[in-house]
Amino acid sequence: MASVHESLYFNPMMTNGVVHANVFGVKDWVTPYKITVLMLLDEMTISTSITLLDRRRLNKLILPLLQSPDMTLSELIKTVEDSCPQLAYTVHLRLQLMADGELKDMEHFFDMLPSPFNETESEAHKTSVVGLFMRHMVLAYNKLSFSQVYKLYTALQQYYQSYERKDSPAAEPAEDTDMELTNTEELGGKMEKEELDLTPSDDEVSTRGPLSQKQAEYFLAQQAYLLKNDENKALDPAALQKELNNMLKFNPDFAEAHYLSYLNSMRVQDIFNSTDSLLHYFDRLILPGGDSKSNGDEGCGRSLRYAALNLAALHCRFGHYQQAELALQEAIRIAQESNDHVCLQHCLSWLYLLEQMKGSDSTLTEHAVKMAVHFCLPYLASLGIQSLVQQGAVGGKTANKLMDALKDTDLLHWKHSLSELIDVSIAQKTAIWRMYGKSTMALQQAQVLLSMNSLEPVNLGVQQNNSEAFAVALCHLSELHAEQGLFAAASEILKHLRERFPPHSQHAKLWMLCDQKIQFDRAMNDGKYHMADSLVVGIAALSKTEGLYRKALVLKARNQTTEAYKVLQRLLLYCEKIKGTEMTIRVMLSLAELHWSSSCHAVALPLLLRSLAVSREYHLQYLASECILHLAFSQLMLGIPEQALNILHMAIESILAHGALLDKGRAMLLVAKCQIVTASSEPSKQQKTQALEVAVQNLEEAGTYFTKVDCKERVRDIYYLQARLYHSLGKTAERNKCAMLFRQLNQELPSQGVPLITRL
Amino acid sequence: MAALSSQFGDLVEIKKQLTVIIALCRERGLMHSVKWASELAFALDPLPLNELPPPPPFTEEDAQDLDAYSLAKSFFDLKEYDRAAYFLRGCRSQKAYFLYMYSRYLSGEKKKDDETVDSLGPLEKGQVKNESLRELRVELSKKHKARELDGFGLYLYGVVLRKLDLLKEAIDVFVEATHCLPLHWGAWLELCNLVENKEMLKSMSFPDTWMKDFFLAHIYTEMQMIEEALQKYQSLINVGFSKSTYIISQIAVAYHNIRDIDKALSMFNELREQDPYRIENMDTFSNLLYVRTMKPELSYLAHNLCDIDKYRVETCCVIGNYYSLRSQHEKAALYFQRALKLNPRCLGAWTLMGHEYMEMKNTSAAIQAYRHAIEVNKRDYRAWYGLGQTYEILKMPFYCLYYYRRAHQLRPNDSRMLVALGECYEKLNQLVEATKCYWRAYSVGDVERMALVKLAKLHEQLNESDQAAQCYVIYIKEIFECGELMEQVELSTAFRYLGQYYFKNKQYDDASICAQRCCNYNDAREEGKSLLRQISQVRGQGETSSSDLSLPFIFGPLSAKNTPVRRMSPLNLSSVTP
Repeated sequence: MASVHESLYFNPMMTNGVVHANVFGVKDWVTPYKITVLMLLDEMTISTSITLLDRRRLNKLILPLLQSPDMTLSELIKTVEDSCPQLAYTVHLRLQLMADGELKDMEHFFDMLPSPFNETESEAHKTSVVGLFMRHMVLAYNKLSFSQVYKLYTALQQYYQSYERKDSPAAEPAEDTDMELTNTEELGGKMEKEELDLTPSDDEVSTRGPLSQKQAEYFLAQQAYLLKNDENKALDPAALQKELNNMLKFNPDFAEAHYLSYLNSMRVQDIFNSTDSLLHYFDRLILPGGDSKSNGDEGCGRSLRYAALNLAALHCRFGHYQQAELALQEAIRIAQESNDHVCLQHCLSWLYLLEQMKGSDSTLTEHAVKMAVHFCLPYLASLGIQSLVQQGAVGGKTANKLMDALKDTDLLHWKHSLSELIDVSIAQKTAIWRMYGKSTMALQQAQVLLSMNSLEPVNLGVQQNNSEAFAVALCHLSELHAEQGLFAAASEILKHLRERFPPHSQHAKLWMLCDQKIQFDRAMNDGKYHMADSLVVGIAALSKTEGLYRKALVLKARNQTTEAYKVLQRLLLYCEKIKGTEMTIRVMLSLAELHWSSSCHAVALPLLLRSLAVSREYHLQYLASECILHLAFSQLMLGIPEQALNILHMAIESILAHGALLDKGRAMLLVAKCQIVTASSEPSKQQKTQALEVAVQNLEEAGTYFTKVDCKERVRDIYYLQARLYHSLGKTAERNKCAMLFRQLNQELPSQGVPLITRL
Repeated sequence: MAALSSQFGDLVEIKKQLTVIIALCRERGLMHSVKWASELAFALDPLPLNELPPPPPFTEEDAQDLDAYSLAKSFFDLKEYDRAAYFLRGCRSQKAYFLYMYSRYLSGEKKKDDETVDSLGPLEKGQVKNESLRELRVELSKKHKARELDGFGLYLYGVVLRKLDLLKEAIDVFVEATHCLPLHWGAWLELCNLVENKEMLKSMSFPDTWMKDFFLAHIYTEMQMIEEALQKYQSLINVGFSKSTYIISQIAVAYHNIRDIDKALSMFNELREQDPYRIENMDTFSNLLYVRTMKPELSYLAHNLCDIDKYRVETCCVIGNYYSLRSQHEKAALYFQRALKLNPRCLGAWTLMGHEYMEMKNTSAAIQAYRHAIEVNKRDYRAWYGLGQTYEILKMPFYCLYYYRRAHQLRPNDSRMLVALGECYEKLNQLVEATKCYWRAYSVGDVERMALVKLAKLHEQLNESDQAAQCYVIYIKEIFECGELMEQVELSTAFRYLGQYYFKNKQYDDASICAQRCCNYNDAREEGKSLLRQISQVRGQGETSSSDLSLPFIFGPLSAKNTPVRRMSPLNLSSVTP
């Protein structure tokens, strides 16, 4: 009785009311698969006839074999056969002998395993991976009770027989592993088949053996790594969840699985499951580790803080900013109470992110950076600097300061080898150059990022390349190519993006927007407004302002001036409110164009001047040249072509160097137009002819640009102008040719309401 | 009701049926069904000798199998299942066949349990399964197709299907079993565990017998449809089952579930009187005693049960409760652990252990315990609530919101979760949400009567004085209606606020009544007096009617609760709900 009593008081699974997952310290145990692996290792040490090349291949095979979940025998033999067919045969033979023999064969095998302790020169040194594995196995085997040994042996027999049956084509294919248990004499094969048909799911589960703790840990680590770095190579969400559920069903204490389940649910944007898993994980984690009695309370508090912080991150990712803020406040409060500066620092960086979402100023970020430097948290510090740079770039800080700051952070990154942040930094540079309108620099930076080797050791054959930075750089690259009329290249890049960031993934929105924008531009160039219109909806779903802007563009192109004006006015107000400088300038330019179409060129001027001033203030060089282009056009229309030509010279250089093909064409066309008008005032006839010939050349150039981007309407305009010029120059042959081309295009295209002259 | 009484008209017939089924079940080793039926039969009047039903007909096959059956049954009773199955293997009769299959099933289950202890590691534990289930299923399904299974066979087939997680098929088979043999309680009981909701229940067709009423009452209790369950049980008592301990215990559990503590206690006491050595449901009884802090009764119960059988889960829970009430939380936790050792799937013990760890301020252990409880049953609202409380104690109001919400989802009409949610929102300074919670808590029937006061205070904070006053008025009204004057502190604040409120609104009569009331409480006396002084001053300036002051004394409590309501009438209560 006393013993019963004691056993009730003593519960090995519980200390202080906390159940420990790993009760007996069993991390690994013997399975038939592992016996086979042991045989393989044994054969490798004994056998002398293996060639060096084969041996090398086998050695490479060992680690994956030790770490992977249990394979079926046929899989295993096939894997070994690929490296060394002869060895595979030997292992097969030995297993057959053991399975067809008696229990004592297995016992004998474990007795005869070369003890790693005895042989100093053996390959299986006791501290090597193989040696450890062998020792684990021998230990685990010795610990088995009487009935367990027998169970293991029957399992081994079954393992082998299932392979045999699959191997021999004569046997019924429907007979599977589990049917071994059924008494085959009693029941016909027909019955078994029927049974199998009834429960296909049971069968599927049973083919995979249970994972040992070690295998489970490895599986989790591998999947988590893949999720972080190359999502496509990880199991797909449903399969992974199934695997995790399976694991958790059998061992609910395996907290890490809950965390992976949280990550997995995040992939598919499932807020309910992800919250549930996250909280479950932290509920499980809160137990202080068995050894850390001195700081047990500390450990508990620590995970609490991070639990709240993670919850904040979760809400932030789902866009629940208010909830995120509440959770964050909680994390901050707990961290403050326990003086955890590191956690506080993490909280602070989330806090400024949240503040940024709400559009407040950057003082908090600056503070965060200072504190991070103080606590030696380089990651957070440079993250802070990067977000400061971003704010600064949008806020019109001078370029040299920004680049300086980025250079400083880069130093920090390289010093601490924070490869993730290096990527971000380069992507940011790409974006900044693009914003400034230096397409060549942007192109170069994007290429740098793409062709750079990651600093992290290449693991599992993946490079770290599904981060946001890569998505951003690739999107910029495709847009840049599209601008230069290289649509095939652009779509190629987009195809790659689609593969790397499948539509359900987190950064997929980036390329979706980019893709639609490119399509929209093409449709507009081609004059297919109905197509552009249908794309507007998609763009608006991804970005509200962009969608509105594009809608206005379509309306404008369709001569629905009033509606376009209304939309643009609304957009202008909104952009000024959210301080979206680039968009504001674009909207103002579009407004000016609207004024032109109603021949109010004088009204457009102040708008254009204002936008020029703004773009200069924010160093948006490309937009500034665009403004100048517009200004010049207005001046031309107002009858001061000389002035127009003068200011055009300021812009033409940067447009030709960095501009999109369409803009180049437009600029050249405008130059030509100005030249034509000024030519009429030339005194001598010879000078006039000369000037006109220059204009013809410029038109020619503009024409080639327009052809490249499929802008047929503009090409038609060019032909018209050229024909007229040739006419006045008296070159009849050329004139007729241009006229014919014009006629062809004119028949092809529906005539638009916009007269040729009032368009830039 | 008429239909019910007609079905139950012939209690003698029912008694006969019960006697027959008891014998049948006993022959097949279905001891729980025997127990249930016997308990019910015991509640009915004994039959005279000539009325006793004849023993079940004895067929040729039965006679052939008789020796093998007797031998196997004795092995079966001694839990030597494999041996029993061996001697039964060739038998043809239904009875022997059932016993054959059943012993194979039980042998598999027993081996499974043994294996679990002997398994290689934690991850493999779940892989252990009853290996005989698949064979049994194949054989039974063959028989089922050939329509050779009787009611017991169908029941066993259903059990096998359920164990294989083929729940849909299992339900169909159990329904068939009830049609085939409506008197077998085991099949009904299995259905109770498988039917998940009301819709599912409605969609099924059951045989139209008196057993159906027992089943419905049982399942209503399980599904927390307490009103319907109580109604059913009452009618069962009315037709003549008043002595049944089963019904009494079910009613007691039902009252416990709707927290009608007094009625539940009286039912349990009756049960104890009739069946003093009963251990089932006594943990529920001890919970009730615990809630009422009835120390001597709980102590008596604990000692009594310990005498009867100390290695029962219920006994351990009762002792745990006893220690908990005596604030010996370590010992209490120990006994809950012991209960869990006896039955790891005992949900109540996990939750209770969580409570004990909470008392011991061992939050991490408490969280663990609650999580275990949730793992056993995801729908255990007390565990969710406990988790919420734990995190609230750890000062994480936002974090615990999630847990309270889960608890609230499971018990949408329980005010405690709503009040807890409201408190969290209040801590997070989300006052609008908090008011919603409190108002809802009040609407579903507030147990602790705190929601209204909290709501009023919130409205005070939000500067919505009308709503605040209204809440206080309702609060005072409710308290006086109950006749309990326990929460004096809150009453005094209510009167104090109302006094000021009426004074501001120049309703001096009401204000002075409230001020008078304030003077009854120690903490508000000074304020009450000063308010009275102010009122008389104002009145002195306007009109000299100081004689009115004596009037409130006559009004008494009645006026205090009536007058403000009349004044408040233009304000619709529903305006409080945002």
